[in-house]
Amino acid sequence: MKTQLTLSPEPITEVPPAISDGMGAVVVFHGVVRGTEDGESIAAIHYEANETMARHQFELIFTAIENQWPVESIRLVHRVGEVAVNEASLRVEVIAPHRAEAFAACQFLIAEMKAKVPIWKRAVREGHAVRVHGRAQRVPTQFQSPQGNDPSPSRRAK
Amino acid sequence: MKVTVKFWSYFRDFTECNETSLEVDDGATLGDLHSAVMEQFPKLAEMKNSTLKAVGVDYQTDDFVLSDGDEISLFPPVQGG
Repeated sequence: MKTQLTLSPEPITEVPPAISDGMGAVVVFHGVVRGTEDGESIAAIHYEANETMARHQFELIFTAIENQWPVESIRLVHRVGEVAVNEASLRVEVIAPHRAEAFAACQFLIAEMKAKVPIWKRAVREGHAVRVHGRAQRVPTQFQSPQGNDPSPSRRAK
Repeated sequence: MKVTVKFWSYFRDFTECNETSLEVDDGATLGDLHSAVMEQFPKLAEMKNSTLKAVGVDYQTDDFVLSDGDEISLFPPVQGG
């Protein structure tokens, strides 16, 4: 583990200047592309989004957070297209009165995003994108197809 | 009635197209449509139980009744972050 500790009288410039007086916590999370995928070295991850639906699903998550925690603001950037190893693919900033709700909201946001926001990735190895298998266990139960009792296959639906 | 089905991520590899149009009967459900699409594109059946389904920008379950002109998205588990 690397650590960096600074004790300084200078302002901490990373704190957003627009924060209001009642806010005491700013949580910032960066998701960074790892150098391996499924145990193999990669050069980058290519992200594809269904952008219209992704925006809508993010808005639903933001609303759920607003209804649960006294969060003042959320800023989120998710990269699309190719993101090189060691670059951030995701940045989330949550501002709230206290650290507990800021961390909780940030965790909730990312967990919900990984379950519901239509963004997919392909590992890029030496210029060739390859499919990264989705993890079925991430699929929320309410969105899974019901088991059995499927209608007989037909080119023309019911 | 006619609906449009869009494919995302590696589902496009399975179907070799971005979207298709299907005629469905009045009262057809999203589950009915999924079955019809899997018959047309058998490789999608490999992901039958983990396929996510949306009508417009909202997820829907298999009992959702479709309407004329609906745009359906079929895709694998999402992977953002």
